[in-house]
Amino acid sequence: MRRIGIWIAVGGLLLATAACGGDSGGSASGTPKAQSLAVGFVAEPANLDFTSTEGAAIPQALLVNVYEGLVKLDQAGEIVPLLAEKWEVSGDRKTYTFTLRDNVTFSSGAPFTADDVVFSLDRVKSDWKLKIKSQLDVVDKVEKKDDSTAVVTLKQPSNGFLYAMATRLGAMFSRTGVSDLANKPVGTGPYTLGSWRRGDSIQLDANPSYWGTKPPLSSITLKYFKDATAMNNALLTGGIDVISSVQAPESLQQFADPNRFEVIEGTTNGEVVLSMNNDRPPFNDKKARQAVRHAIDHKALLDTAWAGRGGLIGSMVPPTDPWYEDRTGDYPYDPARAKQLLGGKTYDVKMRIPNLPYAVASAQVVKSQLAQVGITAEIEPLEFPARWLDQVFTKGDYDLSIINHVEPRDMGIFADKSYYFGYDNPEFGKLLASADQGTEQEQTDDLKQAAKLLSDDAAADWLFLFPNLIVAKKGVTGLPENAISESFDFTALAKQ
Amino acid sequence: MRGRTNAGLVVGGALVGLVVLTAVASFFWTPHDPTLVDAAQKLREPGGGYPLGADKFGRDTFSQLMVGARTTLYVGIVAVGIAAALGVPLGMIAGMTPHGWLSELIMRVNDLVFAFPALLLAVMFGAVYGAGTLTAMIAIGVATVPAFARVARAATLQVMVTDYVLAARAAGRRRPAIAVRHVLPNIGSMLIVQASVSFAIAILAEAALSFLGFGTRPPTPSWGRMLQESQELLFSTPRLALWPGLAIALAVLGFNLLGDGLRDYLDPKLRRIR
Amino acid sequence: MTLYLLKRLAVLMASTAVAAVVVFAFMALLPGDPAEIALGVNATPEAVAALREQFGTDRAPVVQFLDWFGGLVQGDFGTSYVTSSPIGPQIGDRLGVTAVLVLGGMAVALAVAVPLGTFAAVHHRDPLGAAISAASQVGIAIPAFLAGILFVFVFAVQAQVLPSGGYVPFAEDPGEWLRGLLLPWASLGLVQGAVLTRYVRSAVLDVMREDYLRTARAKGRGSTGALWRHGLRNASVPVVTVLGLQLATLLIGAVVVERVFVIPGLGDLLLNGVAGRDLLLVQGVVMVLVAAVLLINFAVDVAYHLLDPRLR
Repeated sequence: MRRIGIWIAVGGLLLATAACGGDSGGSASGTPKAQSLAVGFVAEPANLDFTSTEGAAIPQALLVNVYEGLVKLDQAGEIVPLLAEKWEVSGDRKTYTFTLRDNVTFSSGAPFTADDVVFSLDRVKSDWKLKIKSQLDVVDKVEKKDDSTAVVTLKQPSNGFLYAMATRLGAMFSRTGVSDLANKPVGTGPYTLGSWRRGDSIQLDANPSYWGTKPPLSSITLKYFKDATAMNNALLTGGIDVISSVQAPESLQQFADPNRFEVIEGTTNGEVVLSMNNDRPPFNDKKARQAVRHAIDHKALLDTAWAGRGGLIGSMVPPTDPWYEDRTGDYPYDPARAKQLLGGKTYDVKMRIPNLPYAVASAQVVKSQLAQVGITAEIEPLEFPARWLDQVFTKGDYDLSIINHVEPRDMGIFADKSYYFGYDNPEFGKLLASADQGTEQEQTDDLKQAAKLLSDDAAADWLFLFPNLIVAKKGVTGLPENAISESFDFTALAKQ
Repeated sequence: MRGRTNAGLVVGGALVGLVVLTAVASFFWTPHDPTLVDAAQKLREPGGGYPLGADKFGRDTFSQLMVGARTTLYVGIVAVGIAAALGVPLGMIAGMTPHGWLSELIMRVNDLVFAFPALLLAVMFGAVYGAGTLTAMIAIGVATVPAFARVARAATLQVMVTDYVLAARAAGRRRPAIAVRHVLPNIGSMLIVQASVSFAIAILAEAALSFLGFGTRPPTPSWGRMLQESQELLFSTPRLALWPGLAIALAVLGFNLLGDGLRDYLDPKLRRIR
Repeated sequence: MTLYLLKRLAVLMASTAVAAVVVFAFMALLPGDPAEIALGVNATPEAVAALREQFGTDRAPVVQFLDWFGGLVQGDFGTSYVTSSPIGPQIGDRLGVTAVLVLGGMAVALAVAVPLGTFAAVHHRDPLGAAISAASQVGIAIPAFLAGILFVFVFAVQAQVLPSGGYVPFAEDPGEWLRGLLLPWASLGLVQGAVLTRYVRSAVLDVMREDYLRTARAKGRGSTGALWRHGLRNASVPVVTVLGLQLATLLIGAVVVERVFVIPGLGDLLLNGVAGRDLLLVQGVVMVLVAAVLLINFAVDVAYHLLDPRLR
């Protein structure tokens, strides 16, 4: 597991499914299958090119649905075959031989072959502009053995390689389909891009020539809402069929009627991190960081800021990862201990947060609790993504921040001392490197240790684990319970 | 007619007085710390030391309303202050030299600024300097300058043709002296009316900006932000939206009534007709 | 009159040009280099320099301005740094939506204000007239977005008779288009209508004090008839002025109402642009809004001259 890159996502913001309201005749006449669904999402993609544009919204809409990789993550977090029927790993764990499915074509009509695998993976190195592309730096070369066999050779054994292949990095592009990635995605998936009404919605149409099980719906509309209440209202009034991610958890009781709605509460990879700038005073002092961790009553924070939905974690590992350990006891709520660690000193700090609902709510609780131990935090909400990325993420000009790091298996970001945390402990980097090259058991042991080290060093504080809260109209099936990959998988979505 | 005019003035004055008193009182006393998060009091019903209940953070609504009055006045005073400080001298200059190039320039620039409405300016300012109360107030203030300049110019034009100003000019008094001695006192009443009306508009603008996330920063209590934060609980706990909504409406109503009442009371022309 | 028109037109064009300079200069202050932002945190300096050249942000500000302004004159707003699509058509689409919203809101405001204001003026001594007057004061005190939230709560969520938001293009389904716009129009229009009611009332009151109406009343004719015959044209002068001022207010009020009702108009585009640091897009939208306000003021001035016989 090398550095898992950066992209910072809006958090659960992005997961919804909305029905485009085209089912007007459906419910009344009792037609067996509705033809379309509308799903409400929070953040609209700026464009459709996830090879050059950061952000969670694009892979969420397109990965697995429009673009497919050789492998994908299933609901349990296991890597399963997709465009590769199977794969073999050599004894030295450096060579992966993928056997590709037959009869797969791109939506443009071009056949999918090993040439496209070579093209797509080489293109990551040559054309991708995202920081996360470094996850595939471990790839030495990609070769075509025959039309349906591709061989990837690694520089050294890597546990993170196959996992990265299940993310957008492993998406398969057509050699003739990359001329206008921002507007015209060409993939092998069950859906194709129908239309895009900027500022409003994206419609995905079923791909008539899909190689696998044909999707149950003829089209899915992803409808974008900037306001959580507006999205709730749209579901209440039939404007959409699904809220992909509830942004106002207190409002859930509106959907309490089980005859009308179904509320799904699952888990995500999203750690809501209270980041502390390890690079400058006062949080370059480990004691000050530890004081912050002791000063925060995480249970109270979750109850007030996010209606008690979600879980408590004590380090950068969600419970769905194999190396998860309960670390919530490392820094129990203890204001007296916090004050003692601060040595009676008081501090004025800047808390620069993205203007997203979970961050604004959490920040107010954090501020109130830090005030009890003598830390005065001034909250400054910055427009997400651009201004926050610029000021906090890129320039590192902050003392405290709050952001939901939604990327799967992203503990590696702490190994990069240029990352905005400014955390610098060579021991941590060594543990991660050895975990990536070691056996499965060694990997688990190393990563457990790494997580403990992060917690002990108080590299940051982990406020809570973001819940996957989905609300759907009764009768909508096939919704993913857990949001543990980059995509919102529409493959099985249907309506009775 | 006279009776109702006074009624408006009295009601408006009373409402504004209430806002001012509440704001002043909040400096000395509130039932609770308005920003203190207390999970045990989450969504507490009214009663027992929490006269209007508590929000989802367990913060006392009544205390928040009290300190919110302070924010409201702060926004209004700074915005109107900026507008008056810039707009009145400019309007007076334009009014005292009605045919000069300076007057023409001032009024053209005025028209130009007028083309940048408060909300648009606030969003632009927010994008450059970061959203916050001060940015919002400056934006609202700058956008209100033309209103003051126009009123000051129109009133000055009227005063300049009165006998005493003509006499002062004949006596060779210099323009700045005339402006301070004769013009300003006589256009004062119109400016007070304008200030009252602009105050109401500033309150509405702050509420709208807070709703869009360009207003007062959390956790500083502001009626606009309280309203915005209570939206998700509109179904289950409507009182959280009711109180700040009512406070905004009453404060705006108060300043508008006060402005109208003062206009009727101070404007001699209207008084003569009625 | 022709001379006035020409002079006013010249002022309009000069103001628009100066406004363009102001908008451009302001946007130049925005922190963050568009090329760096587009490339993310790990970009090489060479890539940033190349993209800067592609965007044209490596040139002198004056050159950039002239290029942008020259494009504007021909209706070309440039190409977005973020979406790499032309900005002009986007603004065009959104402007249409916002225009429908604003004009509809204005229509609602007029439909409310003219009858109520006139009635309140004619009956200004009756309790009912006074009640209308008082109600208009309360109406002014309610923010448009609050009215919107309440309308959604009552008519969409509780009564389920109208959609809570969203925008269906007219070409797609005229019925749904209309249903979707009713609540936004009402939110914008009722609050502005309250403001307008007061102006209509006071304009009509002023007209009623004019000699010809007093004469008509003295002759024993009903004042309402005389009012219709002589008064409305005169009363319309101040009302048109206020209407113009309000159009500008409505344009900006629409920004907030668009957020409440999830309508993809100019306001939505502007806020998105600000959040995404889409410099050129924000610049374009602000310019369009400002130009619209200038144009409205121009139209009001001209209408003022046409309506008021004393000015002709």
